Amino acid sequence: MADFEKISELMQKGKADEVKQLCADALEEGVNPKDVLDKALLAAMNIVGEKFKNNEVFVPEVLIAARAMNFGLEVLKPAMVDDDIEEIGKVVIGTVKGDLHDIGKNLVKIMFEGKGLTVIDLGADVSADKFVEAAVNEGANIIACSALLTTTMTQMESVVKAAEDAGIRDKVTIMVGGAPVTEKFCDSIGADIYTADAATASEKALEACSK
Amino acid sequence: MTGKEKVLAVLNKEKIDSIPWLPFAGVHAGKLKGYTAREVSTDAEKLIKSLREVNKLYKPDGQPVMFDLQIEAEILGCDLVWSEDAPPTVASHPLSESTDIPDTIPAATDGRIPLSIEAMKAMKAEFGDTTALYGLITGPFTLSSHLRGTNIFMDMIMNPDYVKDLLSYCVKVAKAVSGYYIEAGMDVIAVVDPLISQISPDHFEEFMAVPFAEVFDFIRSSGAKSSFFVCGNATANIAPMCKTNPDSISVDENVDLAAAKKVTDEHNIVIGGNIPLTSVMLFGTQQDNMKNTVDLIDSVDNTDLLIIAPGCDMPYDIPVENTIGVQQAVHQTEQIREMVKNYEGSEIEFEGELPDYANLEKPFIEVFTLDSITCAACTYMKASAVDIKEHFGDKVDMVEYKYTEPQNIARCKVMEVKQLPSIYINGKLKYSSIIPNRSEFIAEVEKCL
Repeated sequence: MADFEKISELMQKGKADEVKQLCADALEEGVNPKDVLDKALLAAMNIVGEKFKNNEVFVPEVLIAARAMNFGLEVLKPAMVDDDIEEIGKVVIGTVKGDLHDIGKNLVKIMFEGKGLTVIDLGADVSADKFVEAAVNEGANIIACSALLTTTMTQMESVVKAAEDAGIRDKVTIMVGGAPVTEKFCDSIGADIYTADAATASEKALEACSK
Repeated sequence: MTGKEKVLAVLNKEKIDSIPWLPFAGVHAGKLKGYTAREVSTDAEKLIKSLREVNKLYKPDGQPVMFDLQIEAEILGCDLVWSEDAPPTVASHPLSESTDIPDTIPAATDGRIPLSIEAMKAMKAEFGDTTALYGLITGPFTLSSHLRGTNIFMDMIMNPDYVKDLLSYCVKVAKAVSGYYIEAGMDVIAVVDPLISQISPDHFEEFMAVPFAEVFDFIRSSGAKSSFFVCGNATANIAPMCKTNPDSISVDENVDLAAAKKVTDEHNIVIGGNIPLTSVMLFGTQQDNMKNTVDLIDSVDNTDLLIIAPGCDMPYDIPVENTIGVQQAVHQTEQIREMVKNYEGSEIEFEGELPDYANLEKPFIEVFTLDSITCAACTYMKASAVDIKEHFGDKVDMVEYKYTEPQNIARCKVMEVKQLPSIYINGKLKYSSIIPNRSEFIAEVEKCL
């Protein structure tokens, strides 16, 4: 019988090959791939996210766990039938125009995926129009903008405006984050959600999608 | 004591009566002279003029010459993206697809090192006796990440020997560049490594302890003092950082300074920090900055082994008066504590009467200062008004209101004066924080004659 606990522990340690093997074994045993995903992989990423928030693990541990999760997903996804793949929500994410820092953005992306959200990663140096264009094309529930620089965080206001101009403002939740960003700043530019860390961002994103 | 003596005394772990002030004006220095970030990052003359202005207006006890973590990376093959209001950013990582270890060590003539050295020598000649000068180098971990990209984080787990080799190489670069800057007269070498906050204490011990200790030993043996600058929430790594034996550590607002100071005190290491860069310095008022600084000083158990500084490199657009406010609060803490208290106390009513500005007999110049005796920017602002008064004689009136008096605080409130020092002519704000040049000031007054 598949040991979800064991897969989770190995994933948290970043043991990618072992995670992959155990996921394959589970499928062989006839375990529902959706169960493996939810009870082992996503459960593990939840724990990693919580520990990251509490300063118990740091960037290398999160990245290595995410890599192991992807190894497991490679095996699980082809086995999942359409019914298993419920779209919880879709997020368009990127670092704003003029800003090339993407460590924080990548961590948030990992945490979003850990909640089962579908993430379209636009990379770094993303213009307001590109955020909105992608959100429209993908039918995204959320636009998530990251910035590390005090000089680029102001671009987030342009994203809010571009969403208004495109007539999608009431359909999309705009999340902002990054070192210089604050709740007050989020309010002042008319964005919807600010969180100080990636794990909380994923919780808020999930809430926003289930509304 | 000069500012330099204060900084060096604290770094020598001596107890002194005052707290040194270290404004991290990197590209922000350019704002004081109207130069862009790119100009002060690439043009020695403009950089030196700007640094001179920082020294004049912000009265630093210690001052960095450049705050640019891309100088070494640029020489070693990283492409940079330039900005007019921020330092350049690394846009490519030459080792992203390769695990080769480079062997090029930057020469003193490479890239922008000559620019940095020229500015250092000029500052040394002009302010070397009075201000402790800081040369900033890129820390080995952050330089490794510039070269390798974010793969460096996964390498720490999947290929640890490679990371150790890359760090050893970056230590050689750090020692070479430190050597050039010490030779150019820098009193303190700051090893700036923001990424340290992103790894665990275990990883710090495994990868960083030896390389950083080697850099700090080198700086010490070369006759300079050292500082370990970090950004982000480095709380968990403060003790491991202390063990690498720098003379001081500098942290940003993500770290609780009072809690961190307990740790640095145990290791007998100086701590610097951590006025919030965005919420307070960039977006706050001058009052917020003064209050925040006083509160910060009050938050620590003792003020020994302490330097007050912004959290990290100051954003280009920080209002000049905010930094002046912080400076005053560090240097005149008791006086500013009173001012903040008086400002917050809503019971102070303005008892005087504002002039009838619309019907004045002659132009009326009002100078609002924190205190024209102790605040350098206020001294210059007042002096420029005195000069103009002398120029026009009886044709104009001039008065100074010092913020040290509760009634003057009340007057500021009534007149909605937000920045100090400021000059108002006929009740209208004309100049704030940046001292006007004589001819434009004269022209402005002549318009009112």
